[in-house]
Formats: sequence, structure tokens, C-alpha cells
Amino acid sequence: MACAGCLRRGLLLRELAPRIAQSVDRRTGARARDLLALDDASLRRAVGAGVGGGGGVGELRAELRSAGCWAGCRHESDWPEAIALLGDSAPRALFGRGARERLSLLAGRPTVTLVGSRRASPYGLDVAASLGRELAAAGLPVISGMAFGIDSGAHRGALDGGGLTVAVLAAGADRPYPRARAALHREIVREGLALSELPPGTGVCRWMFPARNRLMAALAEITIVVEAAERSGSLITAEMAGDCGRGVGAVPGPVNSWRSSGTNKLLADGAAVIRDGQDVLDRLLGVGARSVVAEGPAPTPDELAVLDAVEAGAAHADGIASASGLDPDRAAASIAALELSGYLSADRSGALRRTMLPAPGGGPR
Amino acid sequence: MLAVARTFAIVGVDAVPVDAEVDINRGLPSFSVVGLPDAAVRESRERVRAAIVNSGFEFPLRRITVSLAPSDLRKAGPGFDLAIAAAILVASGQLPASLLGDWAFAGELALDGRLRSVRGVLAMADAAGPDGRRGIAVPEADHADAALIEGLAVAPLDSLSALAALGRGQVPEARSNGADARQSAGKEAALPDLAELRGQPALRRGLEIAAAGGHSLLVVGPPGSGKSLAARRLPSILPPLSGSEAIEVARIAGVAGATRPPRSRLVRPFRAPHHTISPAGLVGGGTPPRPGEISLAHRGVLFLDEIAEFPRAALEALRQPLESGEVTIARARGALKFPARFQLIAAANPCPCGRGESDPRCSCSPEQVRRYASRVSGALSDRIDITLSVGQPDAEALAGDRPEGSAAVRRRVLAVRERQAARLGDARTNADCDGDELRRTAALGRGGLQALRLAQRRYALSGRGWARTLRVARTFADAGASDTVGEQHVLAALALRDRPEAG
Repeated sequence: MACAGCLRRGLLLRELAPRIAQSVDRRTGARARDLLALDDASLRRAVGAGVGGGGGVGELRAELRSAGCWAGCRHESDWPEAIALLGDSAPRALFGRGARERLSLLAGRPTVTLVGSRRASPYGLDVAASLGRELAAAGLPVISGMAFGIDSGAHRGALDGGGLTVAVLAAGADRPYPRARAALHREIVREGLALSELPPGTGVCRWMFPARNRLMAALAEITIVVEAAERSGSLITAEMAGDCGRGVGAVPGPVNSWRSSGTNKLLADGAAVIRDGQDVLDRLLGVGARSVVAEGPAPTPDELAVLDAVEAGAAHADGIASASGLDPDRAAASIAALELSGYLSADRSGALRRTMLPAPGGGPR
Repeated sequence: MLAVARTFAIVGVDAVPVDAEVDINRGLPSFSVVGLPDAAVRESRERVRAAIVNSGFEFPLRRITVSLAPSDLRKAGPGFDLAIAAAILVASGQLPASLLGDWAFAGELALDGRLRSVRGVLAMADAAGPDGRRGIAVPEADHADAALIEGLAVAPLDSLSALAALGRGQVPEARSNGADARQSAGKEAALPDLAELRGQPALRRGLEIAAAGGHSLLVVGPPGSGKSLAARRLPSILPPLSGSEAIEVARIAGVAGATRPPRSRLVRPFRAPHHTISPAGLVGGGTPPRPGEISLAHRGVLFLDEIAEFPRAALEALRQPLESGEVTIARARGALKFPARFQLIAAANPCPCGRGESDPRCSCSPEQVRRYASRVSGALSDRIDITLSVGQPDAEALAGDRPEGSAAVRRRVLAVRERQAARLGDARTNADCDGDELRRTAALGRGGLQALRLAQRRYALSGRGWARTLRVARTFADAGASDTVGEQHVLAALALRDRPEAG
């Protein structure tokens, strides 16, 4: 059972959250993680709060029970040691939803954090989902932040791959944020974990996002930025990962796309190049130690011709029919079959692209 | 003295017989019109008086009362002028009474006695047929319209003075006679040809399948991808109008005051209203109610370019007509029905900036794309059978060989339509089938059923989605002269579905 002293820190943060929000100021450079590094009394002084106040630990335990959450603290055996990498700013307790036993699965094995832009391109979404799927299927826990875009894609992929996925949330672990991801939150809680440094019922403040990012960065052996523009918050996560000595990787993107400018810059600065799940496995476990499984069904000759056309850049049935030499009906039937077997996916306007699902006997790479 | 001339009022798209009763009696000289006339009908007094005098007749200086019966029907427009003038001339003894027994009248008078064209002459001629009279006298300009009704004498009049000859039994020769009008209607004006759509085989095939099965169609693509070029070529591969369909179409056009050149009579109408149109302009309305764009597109094609820009209310108003083939305009005095059996083709950009979210230059946020996509498919998604996604054709494709022209494609469309008519009867198409009829007639094979089941699980197809896919698959099967719907047909249809689940 989490000890009262560690829980009290959580209560303090919940109480001071609005004051911290006022103190964190981009102009003066005051940062949440510096505030979080202060001890209780100094933190109170720093944000100009009086002494005392706050509910009791007993009440918090009752709250946890009614919200279906649990709490873990640094004095317990399943506490992820990696949190200590955060030094003074390391949280003393974590609050979570989902089966508590899964927390211990984060320790003693390689884990991966996947982050990226909320405004993701179809390319980014595809890569995030396929990385999530491949890594989860290979037995690596996949950590992300449940935001729109890349984060959601990564969680969804990991769930599809049948592995463990952990959502580190900015505010309470009991409430899905963003609200539109409530269904994903339910699934994650059922199959994996939702974690937060703040107790249930805490409302969302801006400063909590960079604070949450430092947790994701510390928890995983490598933080991979899937797609990010140059001023994206996920680059801060990568920076934090570097600060606490963890690995940083990035997925290359088109050099003419602003959506990938941040990840391409990370690569230029020396981040590991991540093209697929295999790259991650080779890096974390040693080359060839474990290989990504799962390939699609064998394509028919028509389907191969269509795949070739799509890989050569055709995104619409017209271009595919012209390039493959198939008559339009056969091209259409093959496109639909390839979508059903997972080789192709389409955006909302129907523009087609190759997914990363490898075909037997040599995929697209 | 009393005289009664037969004329017609337009109610909706139909002509209703109206009697212009004229009584000339002793009393102070006066000229009044009763029977719910609107301003244009009341002003007809001034036109009739001047036209009679300027045509060499005498205007009786007595008490003249004109009653337009039935008197509870609102009369609008200048079309009653000729009938009123004829009845006055007969009542004052200047023309023989047999004139009114033989002919019905429609036309507006100019002050010098010349006749001006009026709206809805074809509908009037149609109503004049079962009337017992020999024929209808109309302005010369409207002769071609009236002549479309077979077995009806039509007297084309250039001016009021021609009534004198007509009274003596001499029917004026038309500059173009009715047989000519019917004959030239048989030849078609040249339409934009499908051969101009190069390098886009899938778009061409999608258009052909839509034409063959009567399916409504959405084309999504960036600017310059040939969306409206393709839409404008749809009429050229549709079957020509039958004689009676052509008359329906011409009637509606005539009532709305939109004349169609005689040489394009058998061509299906193509209407492309701008997205600033009001719901009333699109489906019909106003006082008195006039047919809207969807009725003008009856038996033809309605093209909505930039469908996301249309007001949602206007698109919502299309739902009922798309289902029932007619639109009901409800008014306090009663409901009017306008025919509106049209094929819908819509076009949209892939996203607000037009490039498409898969294009690296696209600057739209996912939220913007989602909102845009819901505007595109929102109101009408379950009424659109086929969604085609197109890109900009590259230069190489555009420089390729000249593809098949409309005539060859239309021959195939006709053959596929015949297969459907043989199965469904009554010139119906696969697009007209609802879920139940489809289940009975589609003859879904084993492979087809498996593919459809897989798609249902994978894409969470709704019942409507299932029916839409099956309808299009049935058309692919008909196009391949296959009795059962096989796996290939279902897959080809699945490729033409909309993809709301993506992203």
C-alpha cells in the first residue's frame, strides 16, 4: 500500500495545481519541472500558497476506491526504478487505472515511448500504428500520451498487436483527456494501464503536459518521435529523454513536409533512425535477437501489380489502372481486396497508400 | 352578348382549363376583369384594348365584364390576353362564334397586336388534347412546343389580326411545321464527348457504371482533376429520352420558362446550380410555386459542384426527392407535387485547401479535414451509391491515345439497362432497388457473400452501406453479363465506397 507521505505529495500537487499554472510563465522562463523539483514547503512558498490545507490521506484512499484507481509509491516493490532518472523532480507516487500487476511489467524489460504531432499526416498515423503493432506483438510495452494523432495511432496499433500499452495522462488517470478519446481510454484501461502523477479528479492545466512528458521520457528505454513539426511538444519529450540519459529515435519523413521538419531535424542532430519495429528491436535487444512477426496473406498477381503501382506513387484508381495495365474493374477489385487484407489504406478522400504490413517473400522495403 | 373562350392556367407543372367569359352589355363604357386575377392579368385590359384597336378591329365602347372561371383559382401572368381578346371580338360580333368552339387560346398581346410567347405552352397543349376542340392557337414562337403533342391542331399566330383568317377556317402555316419539330427532335445536338476524358480509365469506368445502374455519384479530387469535365459528359452516355419522357421534360422546362432548343429535345437535361442557391431554388417553391433545379433535372442529371459549400438545408431538402422521385411543396392551400427523378452527381475537394491530406503540402488540420468530410457526405452520404476518388492526371496520361467516345460507351450502358429492365421490369435500374428487393433479385454468390461479410466486419458497414455496396456490385455483374454477383463484383463495388472510417 502506498505510504501516506508519498500520497500527501499528490494531494499537495492537486491543491496547488491552479497556483502552479499561474507561476509557470513562458516569458520569465519559470518551468513546471523546476517547481516540481522543490520540496513541499519550498513549493508552497514558490507559488505563494499559505501553509497547511488539503484533504487527508484517508479521504484520498476512499476517492481512489470509488474512482476505480490505485496508487503506487516509490517505497513499493513494483515501483518503476526508471522514475528515479528524473532526480529531484521525480514523482513520489503514481496513480493508475487498469490492473495494478501490469505496473511491474514496465520494469526489467525494454520499453518504448512513441510520441508525435497531434496534427498527424496519414503517413504519420500509419507509421505510428504499425510501430505500435509490431513492438507490442514483439512483447515490448508501448507508452504514449493518448493525445490525438500519433499518440492515438500508437495506442491503437499496440492494442491491435495484442500487447501492453500504457497511457501517461496529464491530469487524473480516471478521466480521459481529450474527451473524444474516451473509447480508446476504456480499451487501454481494459488491456493496459492509464497512469498519472496527479490523483484522480484533478482538472487539466497547461503545465501538466510538459510535466507528463518527462514521465514518458523517463519510463522508456527509448523515446521515438514518429512525426513532428519543428515547434512540437513531442520534441520536448525527446529532449527530456536525452536529459535523463535515455535513447532518442525519430522516423524520417518527406523533407518537403512541414509535418516532418521536427523529426528530420532530430535525425540530423543524431537521433537513431527508426524505419520500422525491427529497427527498434535491433537497437534495444541487439541485432537479430528478435524479429518482427506478422506478414499479410500472399497477394495475387493482379494485387502485386497494384501494390507496385501504389509503391511507385499512384494514389488513385486512375493512376493505378494506368500503371498496372489492369482494366479498371480488375484494378478496383484488387484495390478493395488489398484494403481488406491490410496492405493498403485510404485517407478520407479515398487517396490510397501502402501500409507497412510486409508481404511474404519480401515486402515493400 | 356573351362569349366564352377556352384558355389555361399553370398550376405546378400542369395546365388547368380556364374559361374566359366575356359579357358585353349596355351601360357606361367600362372594362373589368374578375376571378382572382394578379396584377399582370388585371393589366391585360390595357394590352387587349390597344391590341384590338391597333389590329384594325373595333373596341366596343360598352360595359365589358371578363370573368375567368373557375373563379376560386388564382390566375397569374399575361397568358390570358389572347383568349380575352378573342372572346371580346366574338361577343361584339366581329368574329364568328365557331372560332371559340374550334380553338383554345394562349398568348400575350403586345400593344400593336403582335403575339408574345408565354410559359407552359406544351402543358397547355397537352391539356387541350382531351378537350374536344380541334386545336390550340398559340404565339408563333411557341409553335414548336405545342406541336410535340400528336393529333392536335396547332394554329401559330403572329398577331391578333390573324384571328380573322382563323375565323374563316384558314389555319396559318407555321414557318417550321410540327412534323419538322418532331423530326428534328429525333436527331441529337452534339454533346461534350467522353473521348475528351483522357488518362483517367477508372473515372471513365465509374461514370459508365453510374450511368448503367442509375447510381448517384460523388467525385472527390483536387482542382483540375477532371471532376466537372466528367460530370458534364454524363448525359452523353445515358440512354436518350423516350418520346413521352421528352415531353415530360419539355413541359417542366416550359412551365419554368426555360426553353430547350428543339435539337436537344431527346438529350437528358443537365443542371448545374451554383452553391449559393437557396433551398427553394433547388427543390422548388415561391408564390405561386415554381419547379426548382431538381425538377428541371427531371429524367436527367443534377450536378452539384463543390457540394460542401451548399447550405446544409438545401442538401437536406434533396433527401426526399432522391428517394421518391418527386418533390412535394406544401402550402396552406394544398400540396403540389413536382416530378424530380434525377441522377445526382456531386463533386468535392478532398479537404479545405484542395490538395488532400495525403499531400505533404496540405495545410489543413485533421479537425478541419474531418469537418469538411462530414459536410461533404453528411446530409446525403446514405443516398450516394458510388464515391470516386481522383487525382490530377499526369502529363503522360493526358498525351495518351484518344480513348473510346461516348457513342460506344452508351451502347454498353444501353445493354446493361436492358438486363436490369428484364429483371426488374418497367425500365427500372439497380439504383431504384431498396434493400428487400435487392435481397430477392441480386443473386449474391458464395464468394460475393464472403467478401461482403468480411467488409461488414472490417468497416462496420451499416445496413444501408451493405445495400449500397450490393446495388453497385449488381451493376458490375450486369455489366459483365453475369447472373450472379460474384466476389470480383463485390470487391469492385467496395473500391467505390466512401471511406468515413479512414483517418
